[in-house]
Amino acid sequence: MKTFAELNFPGRLIAVEGLDGSGKSTQIYLLKRWLELQGLKVYLSEWNSSELVKTATSKGKKRELLTPTTFSLIHATDFADRYERHLVPLLRAGFIVLCDRYIFTAFARDVVRGCPPEWVRGLYSFAALPDLTFFFKSDLEVSLKRILEGRPQLKYFEAGMDLHLSSDPYESFRIFQGRILEQYLAMSTEFNFLVIDANQAVETQQAVVRELVTQRVSLANFNRDERRPAKPAAESLKKNKAEAPRQ
Amino acid sequence: MRAVVKNHIVVPRRTDRRFYGHGIPGVDLEQLAGKLIVVEGADGSGRSTQIARLVEWLEGTGHATVQVGLKRSTLVSEELEKAQEGNILSRTTLSLFYATDFADQVENIILPALKAGFVVLADRYIYTLMARDIVRGMDQAWLKNLYGIALEPDAVFYLNVPPEELVQRTFAKNAALDYWESGMDLGFSRDMFDSFMKYQTTIQNTFRGMQTTYGFTIVDGMRSADAINAELQKKTNAVLAGK
Repeated sequence: MKTFAELNFPGRLIAVEGLDGSGKSTQIYLLKRWLELQGLKVYLSEWNSSELVKTATSKGKKRELLTPTTFSLIHATDFADRYERHLVPLLRAGFIVLCDRYIFTAFARDVVRGCPPEWVRGLYSFAALPDLTFFFKSDLEVSLKRILEGRPQLKYFEAGMDLHLSSDPYESFRIFQGRILEQYLAMSTEFNFLVIDANQAVETQQAVVRELVTQRVSLANFNRDERRPAKPAAESLKKNKAEAPRQ
Repeated sequence: MRAVVKNHIVVPRRTDRRFYGHGIPGVDLEQLAGKLIVVEGADGSGRSTQIARLVEWLEGTGHATVQVGLKRSTLVSEELEKAQEGNILSRTTLSLFYATDFADQVENIILPALKAGFVVLADRYIYTLMARDIVRGMDQAWLKNLYGIALEPDAVFYLNVPPEELVQRTFAKNAALDYWESGMDLGFSRDMFDSFMKYQTTIQNTFRGMQTTYGFTIVDGMRSADAINAELQKKTNAVLAGK
């Protein structure tokens, strides 16, 4: 597998990964703002957000119709739709594309759900690797606390209830997240994750992220949109309050 | 059709079951006592007629049956239909969407029915899905991995009807060719008739190419429905006898 840079795409793809509650969405939002304020062309794509596929996914989740295999396939469908219709064309056009979760989310979750690792990796083999992948490594307890304090109602699949780890959703969520963390850590070296200590202050983490992006992406060479004034921050802020767990 | 009066009901013999690839997690293949029979072929090749007759005959001989087919899952069939109408999904996405539909039916219909000892009749299976994608240039190794979730059927009957005849049968039913069955998305020709002929020929060649790998029975679909069904019954009998 190659990165977009290795495939000679003019654009660059930066992905963030981490547990629910690790603060990665906040970090990628701040990275987006920083790049936009420099006048760079940036696009942010979120996991599980393709319009058409989303109705099927939410129906499947609401009615608890999903098995590990269909859960995996429907998320791969969602990813493929965003990949083929948004990510690739934008990267061809020289955009900096930011992804809140990328294929590693599937590699971790689907394998925890019992899908064969080679099968899952094979599903996503059409996708190129990110040019940079930040992994927000938080203590399990810190992430859990953040999620459990903010959102007392855990949804069925979000809590990993389909795995029958425990009949208590909170206990199930703990075990599930712990297993996902193990999967992430096992992939860290293989996929060159840039590990960020997510227990630090938001600003401290963002400074490290910006520094690493500056070092590894020659931002000066990217197209700037001269006509478009930088967007006011308020517009996207309301969307970005506390990071809600999302599957 | 002549009613079956003799009361000699054959209990199907168990045979070994396999997935094509990695399979589906948590499935005990030993428990799948029923039989899986697939009928493949283009629209107009007589699939539904043959399946309806097989069902009648199987039920007459004391076997419980269940039918599955493409785009019939509870999970995504509506969304898939909508996506196709608008022609808005890219290749990989459509392929994965179909695979989701297929997997949903495998897990919620095919596997439970086989566990309960039913004869499952599939109106098309992974072969059509793979052939459509291969014709559109998808990577074969990728498709093979994707459809490693499929069970190997006990029999696959491919109803072979030349495109010239398919077109006549389609027009006998309604006066228009279907966009997808004509492969219009491939840009073979802006003329729908030309495109249909080229597309169906390419699909048939792909099926022939897959025949050696997947070992399906090519059935001459140009004969009478009775003659075809007699052949299918004979072969299905062999399947039930565990041959």
